[in-house]
Amino acid sequence: MTHRIPWILIVFLAALCVPWLGSRFYTFLATDIAILALFAMSLNLLLGYTGLVSFGHAAYFGIGAYTCAILMQTAGVPFVFSFAAAGLVAGFFALVFGVFCVRLTKIYFAMLTLAFAQITWAICFKWNDVTGGEQGFSGVPLPDLSLMAAIPGLGGFRPPERFYFVVLALVALSFVVLRRIVESPFGRMLTVIRENPERAEFIGLHVRRYELAAFVLAGLFAGLAGALFGIFNRGVFPDLLYWTKSAEVLIMTLLGGMGSFWGPAVGALVLTLLNQQITAYTQYWPLVLGSVLIVLLFVFPGGIVGALSAAARRLRRA
Amino acid sequence: MEPSFIFGQFVGGLTAAMTLFLIASGLSLIFGVLRVLNFAHGSFYMIGAYLAWQIVQWIGPGGEGFWLAVLGAAVGVAVLGGVIERLLLRHLYRREELYQLLFTYALVLVIADMAKLVWGTQQFGVSRPPSLAGSFQVFDTTVPHYNLFLVLLGPAIALGFWYFLNRTRTGRMIRAAALDREMLGTLGANVDRLYTGMFMLGSFLAGLGGALVTPIKSIIPGMDVAIIVEAFIVVVIGGLGSFWGTFFGAIIYGQVLSFGILIFPRFSSFAVFALMAAVLILRPWGLFGRPISR
Amino acid sequence: MRVRRLLGAACAFAGVLPFAAAAQDIKVGFPMILSGPGALSGEPALRGAEMLVEEVNAAGGVLNGRKLRLIARDTKGAADEAVRVAREMILKDEVNFLVGTFTSAEGPAVSPIAKENQIVFIAPVTKTDQLTAPDKLHPYVFRTASTTTIEGRSAAELAAKLPNVKRVATMTQDYAYGQDTAKAFLDHLKKLRPDIEVVDQQWPKLGEADYTPFINAQMAKKPDAVFSSLWGGHFVTFAKQAKPLGYFDAIKNNFIGAGEAGAIETAKAMGSDYPAGIWANSYDISNWESGPQSHKDYIARLRKFTKDENPSSWPITGYVAMQALVAGIKKANSIDSDKVAKALLDITFDAPTGQITLRGKDHNANRGQFWGLMVMDPKYPFAVMAEANYLEPTKFMD
Repeated sequence: MTHRIPWILIVFLAALCVPWLGSRFYTFLATDIAILALFAMSLNLLLGYTGLVSFGHAAYFGIGAYTCAILMQTAGVPFVFSFAAAGLVAGFFALVFGVFCVRLTKIYFAMLTLAFAQITWAICFKWNDVTGGEQGFSGVPLPDLSLMAAIPGLGGFRPPERFYFVVLALVALSFVVLRRIVESPFGRMLTVIRENPERAEFIGLHVRRYELAAFVLAGLFAGLAGALFGIFNRGVFPDLLYWTKSAEVLIMTLLGGMGSFWGPAVGALVLTLLNQQITAYTQYWPLVLGSVLIVLLFVFPGGIVGALSAAARRLRRA
Repeated sequence: MEPSFIFGQFVGGLTAAMTLFLIASGLSLIFGVLRVLNFAHGSFYMIGAYLAWQIVQWIGPGGEGFWLAVLGAAVGVAVLGGVIERLLLRHLYRREELYQLLFTYALVLVIADMAKLVWGTQQFGVSRPPSLAGSFQVFDTTVPHYNLFLVLLGPAIALGFWYFLNRTRTGRMIRAAALDREMLGTLGANVDRLYTGMFMLGSFLAGLGGALVTPIKSIIPGMDVAIIVEAFIVVVIGGLGSFWGTFFGAIIYGQVLSFGILIFPRFSSFAVFALMAAVLILRPWGLFGRPISR
Repeated sequence: MRVRRLLGAACAFAGVLPFAAAAQDIKVGFPMILSGPGALSGEPALRGAEMLVEEVNAAGGVLNGRKLRLIARDTKGAADEAVRVAREMILKDEVNFLVGTFTSAEGPAVSPIAKENQIVFIAPVTKTDQLTAPDKLHPYVFRTASTTTIEGRSAAELAAKLPNVKRVATMTQDYAYGQDTAKAFLDHLKKLRPDIEVVDQQWPKLGEADYTPFINAQMAKKPDAVFSSLWGGHFVTFAKQAKPLGYFDAIKNNFIGAGEAGAIETAKAMGSDYPAGIWANSYDISNWESGPQSHKDYIARLRKFTKDENPSSWPITGYVAMQALVAGIKKANSIDSDKVAKALLDITFDAPTGQITLRGKDHNANRGQFWGLMVMDPKYPFAVMAEANYLEPTKFMD
């Protein structure tokens, strides 16, 4: 094995430079990608590492977004606490729903996650007094980042750019934690469960308990991503919990490659850029996007990252 | 509650159930046999509706040509399904099931936009055929002939497929293929052709469903994704791979909706999801399914 | 027609990458729902905006020959996507103004983005009162659409005059638009006719596949009149299922269909299946014989522009919103959003249906709709509005 390249550091430093490129649009795009990357990575804890397919992951993203937005806007709670609460509340709901879901397997597991997500969506869609109903909450405030003005070099940036630095730091931190989790003994047990649940059970693992733990962690990180997204988007809407959102994040993960740690982040990057570029040039974006997806699917059988690392290995051997 | 009122709600629930069963039946077939999560099934259903409208325009609206249009639409969609299976989907059978899902999701995007290119964004409608335009009264409840036709067609389709799958040689091979693809291949059956045939049959049902709902629904962009999740849910409630399960899943959904709204007027948005959650919590493999190993 | 569309798509994809816009172009971002069920209305609304842009540019543009340029994006009917494209147009395409959004979620979602970037935003279709509610109002947001309050109260006015009506019911979708219209209708009706009793309220979900259980349940309550705000394809599906059940006969056609149930698109889609005899509304009609000459001219131009003898009722929404913007730019004699926003307060301009004023106090236009009895006219293969009535809404606005 060659040196481990500190990818997490390189990507982080590269991303850090974006606001200096001079276009507010790039910063905007980078914020979007960073948040969705975290969302996709959280799903991969289930999909890639534990082998559980969730069709309702957007529920936790949305719950996080609503929690943070409601706390910040209605109750005036500072960002730090609202953000933490978003993760905890999303994790709590993941625990409640997860207890039922992990009793099921395969497609039935997937469909029950979907059912819970859609019920949560329907509640957000209709509960006008608390969630704002169909219109959700708009005008979610940016966190107070006036402190950042004191940091040399950052004082000149506008609030959205400052928020980008916050997002970047929090997302990078989450990646580090996620990496720790998957490399811990706990993470390796998850992989054992994915490979062969019967065997895992046989050697004395409490499979359901592990699965539930993974489900809660995935929900928690999705909630954190959702909290950031609600602020970034200046509003939270029931759409954030709808099944199409769950499908989107599933596609990001698959596209990037669920077999590798970075796959989902790459998938988020590729899908967001594709969507942005295509919708900018044609209103017939579904046709183009769909065709591109089909081509990618056949060209990169194991997801983009899987295929690229296979190619890299071949090059190295040659 | 008066008996006639309960009867009215019962019939209303049946109608709601059968409109859903028409699309869920094909999905159940493809799901159960090919193990493909076909998100594009709703798109096939939508194409069926558009094709039916198109054929009705060609042969002149308002007559019994409707039936020709229904048949034409169903066949057209079956051919479309066959082409897609042969050219693309077939190469994904050996891949992870999720990549098939990704593929069918991409298909949803492509087909929806194709339909928009060809038929635009306006909505269309098809009238009931004159032979079924009337209605009759039972227990103070009006039942349109066309609704009765749909309510009878559902069980007919279910019975037909039960016979086909259980009593014919092809049907038995299909069931064997669902259990063990490789083994059937070694026994000399042409699994490839069987799969194409099944996919076409499933698509035929989607097209048929799409065409048959045109007299009672608006033909409009977005009708594909509006129905697909509910159809999936009905299939899952019934139990994976159980055709009768799908049938009764639809019936139960219709009745739960129909009587649920009497007790909770704002129940509709939750109905199908609440039902699925309840069923899966109580019976993790669906009503008529068998437990599957991990 | 089809070939044109295909070509259009090909061009849109291959060629029309942003030509370096002539520096003096005034760029207007137009986020609009162009896919899914809402495209039915969003697409023609965009056509209307395009028509106005063509007319203005043909007449030499505004502010000494500056041309208008429309940049349209699909919002996919999702609020977060509407926000994304609105910001992209502001940051990347550097649009000067925003006109657009469709659903009652999209409009209020884009509004804070306009505020944050200090860009005038005019909503042509969004009806929710939330958009311009006192706590949401800011200097840059305006609306040329009708509102749920106007729509519900107009309908109540009609219902109050129906003969022999004592028992009223509603059939509205269970989300903000349905709830708000139903409430506005019932509140106003109770004021007008305290003797009326509300006997039933059905709440089908948005996108209900089959309304039969709701229809049967409602008929069992034997209402004399029903208010509905089912819109677009939802109304078509509902009416196609309700008619053979004898629903409209049972209430003697005392059915008041808000949500543009009287739109020509709906009538065309249903042909002879349309429940003739009901009351319904629409943003526009092409047969307004008693209307002003300006409307007849507009319809004539629209016929040519869309190559449709019976043109859609939706282009007028995009057209009027763009008219308001142009009037504001002219009055401000500037494209500076702060100046235009001030100019738009209490501005009056000549819309095809007559003068429209954007009220300074709540940034809403006195934008009414056509209401009338839907009848089968032998001159048309579909139902049309007889004696269409453009309801001037000022008296319904708070």
